[in-house]
Amino acid sequence: MLEAMFPGLAVGNYAITSAKTPTYNCIAWAAGDLTRWWWPVRSPLAYWPAGVPCEVTLDAFIAAFATLGYAPCNVGGALESGVEKVALYADRLGTPTHAARQLPTGAWTSKLGRLEDIRHTPEGLDGDQYGVVACVLRRDRPAAPIAP
Amino acid sequence: MKKKTGAAIAKIFGMLANQWRTETALSSSLTDVVTHAAYQRIIGLGRPAVPLILAELAVQPDHWGWALEALTGENPVDDEDAGRLDRIQAAWLEWGHTKGLV
Repeated sequence: MLEAMFPGLAVGNYAITSAKTPTYNCIAWAAGDLTRWWWPVRSPLAYWPAGVPCEVTLDAFIAAFATLGYAPCNVGGALESGVEKVALYADRLGTPTHAARQLPTGAWTSKLGRLEDIRHTPEGLDGDQYGVVACVLRRDRPAAPIAP
Repeated sequence: MKKKTGAAIAKIFGMLANQWRTETALSSSLTDVVTHAAYQRIIGLGRPAVPLILAELAVQPDHWGWALEALTGENPVDDEDAGRLDRIQAAWLEWGHTKGLV
């Protein structure tokens, strides 16, 4: 079914890396949050960072990830040592649809709606469902937590 | 107009719920998920849909809070639990229990 929805997955490397769960969506997964559904609506049914415009625009999504230390990246999705990246996807109207997070290997990981997480290539999810990557964000990789 | 029986409503609900889950499975947009035509038709079933939705929630969390609030006019979810589908599920099942619907 995934390859039917995302033709790019058929030719690139991809793997399903979790069970299906509705607990978190792609925005939350890219933000490192496995406990909540992130979406800009004024409702307790979804989470959106305080102080960030509650609107479905790229600027608002960039601002949401800015609360986690991310900022727009000038070199796209190329793997950089010590840097974490998030790719924001948008449809042909520029409306945000999806977010993916880069893994230390350079591959990307995405939560597909209420379905599974997958590991995929940057172009693997391009298409009618999510559009294309509209913006790549970066932050310095946080220092590892000190073990107790 | 012929009134639908409980069994008929349950059958329609089941079909709509399956259609909704299938057609919104890949979406991260809460807006798209709760404005989907099948979801709206479920709300259109009226109060008889409430115990059916609660039965779905008893199996696993999902985005049924919007429909339940629309159908009941109530919202037992704390603002601090925003986006926490597990806590939203628990709040509505507790609500349903107090109403004798679960």
